[in-house]
Amino acid sequence: MTKQEIITKVNEVFEESFEIEKEKLQPQMNIFEDLGLDSLDIVDLVVALQEKFGIKIRDDERIRAIRSLGDIYQFTMTMQNKAK
Amino acid sequence: MQLKRVVITGVGAVSGLGTDVPSLIEGIEQGKSAVRYMEGWNQYNGLRCLVGAPAELKNEKAIPRRSRRSMGRMSIFAVQAVQQALVDADIPREMLPSGRLGCIIGSTMGSAQSLNEAFETLLPEKDLTQLKSMKFFQCVSHSAAMNVAHYLGIAGYVMATSAACASSLQALGTGYDLIRLGAQDVVICGGAEELHPMVTGSFDVLFATSSHYNHSPHQTPRPFDDKRDGLVCGEGSGILILEEYERALQREAKIYAEIVGYNTCGNGIHVSQSYMEAMISCIKEALNNAAVEPHDIDYINAHATATIQGDKEEAGAIREIFGNSVPVSSLKGYIGHALGASGAIELIIALMMMKKGRLYPTLNLKNVGAECNGIFHVTKPLKRDINILVKNCFAFGGINAALVCKKVNNT
Repeated sequence: MTKQEIITKVNEVFEESFEIEKEKLQPQMNIFEDLGLDSLDIVDLVVALQEKFGIKIRDDERIRAIRSLGDIYQFTMTMQNKAK
Repeated sequence: MQLKRVVITGVGAVSGLGTDVPSLIEGIEQGKSAVRYMEGWNQYNGLRCLVGAPAELKNEKAIPRRSRRSMGRMSIFAVQAVQQALVDADIPREMLPSGRLGCIIGSTMGSAQSLNEAFETLLPEKDLTQLKSMKFFQCVSHSAAMNVAHYLGIAGYVMATSAACASSLQALGTGYDLIRLGAQDVVICGGAEELHPMVTGSFDVLFATSSHYNHSPHQTPRPFDDKRDGLVCGEGSGILILEEYERALQREAKIYAEIVGYNTCGNGIHVSQSYMEAMISCIKEALNNAAVEPHDIDYINAHATATIQGDKEEAGAIREIFGNSVPVSSLKGYIGHALGASGAIELIIALMMMKKGRLYPTLNLKNVGAECNGIFHVTKPLKRDINILVKNCFAFGGINAALVCKKVNNT
């Protein structure tokens, strides 16, 4: 999966699960302050990313450090590469 | 201690006949049935009843995602009905977090659709990792009450009465008691329920559903009729605003009626069979509570779901107490049986009858079943003043409830 494909799929998760407009989905956006997610949404974000990318990240401690949409792109790319 | 008086100052409803009270009443006055053939239900092996009375889910995105995410279909219906009722009663928003306004919304259980989705996620692989955070909040039995209270910022009593088909009448009775005792000034009361093959199926396995009218859905359910063959599930929400009488008078609120009596009781005999004696005792106690006699009652809104036994027992109970002198009708033929929401939705319709001086007939009642005879069945629209009415709800689990409402003449 290319970097752009990963970004597109992560953005789909934000549009489908959290009803966030496409225009707002920029890498520098803070997922809590700018995109309005809270701790409960993170549970659903993990479930949606697992489903979208076929990865297991539920117990991955690195999720706690995620702040921006760019962090999620990077984290997902790392997980994808690891899965190869 | 002098008990306070309690009046109804606002109503709101979502039902199979529309997403507000005017469309519900218009549908009933036109003799419409909300019962439909349910596409896709025939894939369930063993499900005999393939009809239902669905409500339309619309404008749900008017509720912000952060609030909507914990709501199943039934909670959205409840929020929409509550919003209508608050506008109808003209309750100011500042009242909501005051602690003097409560919210009691009953249902049989939480969202049936969400429960089903949770099981579908969880059971095949016994895997929790795909379960979303909000499923719990959509599935719990207090889902509608909790979601309404959270969305509106209600800080008073928040409760969920869960007694199947008596749920919303118990909510009204509990709200009535809280205001009478001075614990709350205003209580949002009612019920919400969701149509789902799992819900219909739970009655279907007990042979309590209608199964002979799958290809002529408008002809069922048939309360009190000799060709009745069971209930048809519906869905939606009915909400009434209960308010302390002096407060309502002071702010010159519109008053639909005063609640003057209520009773709920178990039959203590059987979980599914209805018993005339227990119904008689329930209705008589509600009349005692209201300090009225059977001859004072002008209309009875029956529970009558069109099951063979339930209708027979209810007709018997009414015959025993009222003879054939008090008009009786059931509204299940129009909107199906909205279970936990039925008591509140049907009470709203009965209050509209009171307001308009018109009695709406039992839809699909063509020939009264022999065992349902001897009471005054309303089979066509009648002009009739209603001063006092009785609303019955008799639930699976052997739980009965009856509420008595009286017109308030000085408004």
